[in-house]
Amino acid sequence: MFPVLQSSLPYLLQGAVYTIVLSAIVVVFGTILGVGVGVLAAVGGKALRAAVTAYIFVFRGIPVLVVMFLGFYSFPAMGLRLDAYTAVAVSMIVYVAAFVAEATRGAIAAVPAGQLEAAKSLGMRKGMMMREIILPQAMRLLIAPVLNISLMAIKQTSYASIVGAWELSFAAREVVERTLAAFQIFLGVMIIYFVICYPLSLAARALEKRLAFDH
Amino acid sequence: MNPAADLASRGEEIVAINGLRKSFGAIEVLKGIDISVKRGEVVVVLGPSGSGKSTMLRCVNFLETFEQGAITVNGRPVGYKTTGGVRKPVSELENARLREHVGMVFQSYNLFPHRTVLQNVMMGPVKVKGMNAAKARDLAMRLLGKVGMDHKADAYPGRLSGGQQQRVAIARALAMEPSVMLFDEVTSALDPELVGEVLKVMRELAEEGMTMIVVTHEMGFARSVADRVIFMDGGVVVEAGPPADIMANPKTDRFRGFLSRHLSEDG
Amino acid sequence: MEAFIVFFTRYLPAFADGFLITTWVAALAAPTAMIWALVLIIPRLARWKWLTRLVDGYVEIMRNSPLLVQMYLLYFGLPLLGIFWSSIVCGVIAIALQHGAFLSEILRSGIQSLSQRQWEAGSAIGLRRSAVIRLVILPQAFIRVLPALGNQLIVLVKDTSLVSAIGVMDLTLTGKVTIERSGASFEAFIAVAMFYLVLTTVLGLALRVVEVRAARRYG
Repeated sequence: MFPVLQSSLPYLLQGAVYTIVLSAIVVVFGTILGVGVGVLAAVGGKALRAAVTAYIFVFRGIPVLVVMFLGFYSFPAMGLRLDAYTAVAVSMIVYVAAFVAEATRGAIAAVPAGQLEAAKSLGMRKGMMMREIILPQAMRLLIAPVLNISLMAIKQTSYASIVGAWELSFAAREVVERTLAAFQIFLGVMIIYFVICYPLSLAARALEKRLAFDH
Repeated sequence: MNPAADLASRGEEIVAINGLRKSFGAIEVLKGIDISVKRGEVVVVLGPSGSGKSTMLRCVNFLETFEQGAITVNGRPVGYKTTGGVRKPVSELENARLREHVGMVFQSYNLFPHRTVLQNVMMGPVKVKGMNAAKARDLAMRLLGKVGMDHKADAYPGRLSGGQQQRVAIARALAMEPSVMLFDEVTSALDPELVGEVLKVMRELAEEGMTMIVVTHEMGFARSVADRVIFMDGGVVVEAGPPADIMANPKTDRFRGFLSRHLSEDG
Repeated sequence: MEAFIVFFTRYLPAFADGFLITTWVAALAAPTAMIWALVLIIPRLARWKWLTRLVDGYVEIMRNSPLLVQMYLLYFGLPLLGIFWSSIVCGVIAIALQHGAFLSEILRSGIQSLSQRQWEAGSAIGLRRSAVIRLVILPQAFIRVLPALGNQLIVLVKDTSLVSAIGVMDLTLTGKVTIERSGASFEAFIAVAMFYLVLTTVLGLALRVVEVRAARRYG
């Protein structure tokens, strides 16, 4: 029924593998970096907090595509020879981390003040309070937002094709340029993205309701 | 502690509050408070909302800063040290050490929702005091038994009623083996039918000789358990004395008015 | 730093043009998306069951696939149907189609958060259902979700950068072209980033003012 889509499906699925790998790298490292930065801002001094605020403000204010280009063109100037795929991955990690850091700050602030007072009353000091009381509760509050950020990141990996990294969207354009079957291919590719994203989307929605603590 | 030392220490001052003043912005909420609590004494603090009684209590373990005056617990300064006439904040470590000796129970329980009942009670001894887990577990189970909550040791706080959570919170504070227990309106958030179970635990603690400062609206508890009642209003101590005296014969209009309003609803 | 300033003044005219195009695309796409969002919630409010399901399906597809591919679909697909729209129009429509879906979800959550009593109060004073929706429900829902709508608009402004992929000479493409044709270095993209930052920050501040005013007036 869709001859072009059928014949190019293996090629597209190969692209999908690249999309999934890129997404996984970006989400995992972006989350680790973002949580680290968010926690640092919560325990650190004024200067550190201001630096983190600036980082979040800047990256949330510019398009991810611009960050990708910025990485792609500036890494060589710094003496780093990275291929487009790696350049995009690094740029996206820094970008996604800003969103995760913001969510982390929000989750830490969402732990009720009474929890801190109870911990202090037991004679806990700041570090222990962070480790034993605040972070375990904040991490739980963070799961749903991080899933939503991951969803955003997966969709944004398609922009890597604009910078020249080969993945699903790049593969789709190649096929369309060769065959002109724009409807079949792009609709098919939308379905492939949907299959990757939809489970995460459902999980995020289900967890948003389930994971809140009854204080 | 040997009996002789125990006898010698009776009457020893545990909490001393002298000339305590505190403001929130331009509003002065504590206008010079002096209170002394001796070992084994149960002091109940009454007063209308906004009288400063909760703020006073929170100053005792330095959950609130204060501008003037001094508080000591077991002779240790709370929050500030004055050396050579200069008042300086003490270190975070010293505050933490002090709080190990002051148990606090809150109106909103504040149990840790990500830990079981048993883990909530064990947390202080294990993490703060460095007690080994087996010993802390025995201690926690004994205290949970005492507040009638040992059957829920493995439950998470979210599954418990308000009264049950508050009893666990009492056990958690007791697990630090504090010199004094502070109770901050601990029954105010409870459904009326759950108030009794919490008051019963507090009554038993008082009978065992625990030193307690209790901020509450429970007149019956004040009358039958307190060694001394303190009535606060407008940031000052208005009346103080044994409940049999001052609750039967209030000297000021303010306390008389307060009592008549609250005794009528207390029955 | 000095080189940066020299560079900036030299390429400023080109960047100014790109900035205008980006602003123009956003200014076209934002109201289109908002109108589309309002259209998308009609079936639910009118209780047209099948159409509501269709809209739900549409929203899910929009939420779970990339805007870029949707834009490609329009840009490369429409000519096959004999429809030749400019790349700006394709870009604006693609953005509106996706962001309309997100905005309609936000409006829907606002409507759901209103108390049932508002519906009852509206009909109790004799309003028809359509009037209750128009006069009672939508205005309140709108004010309640104003912050979320604002955030989505900022995302929309950032998403306009994708039109560079279908050849619209916006800020992003201007940056790329400047580097590739005139041998400028990566600082071109720092300038591009700064322009976007100014745009989103100004928009963010303007939205804050609207929010605060609305909160003061209706809060």
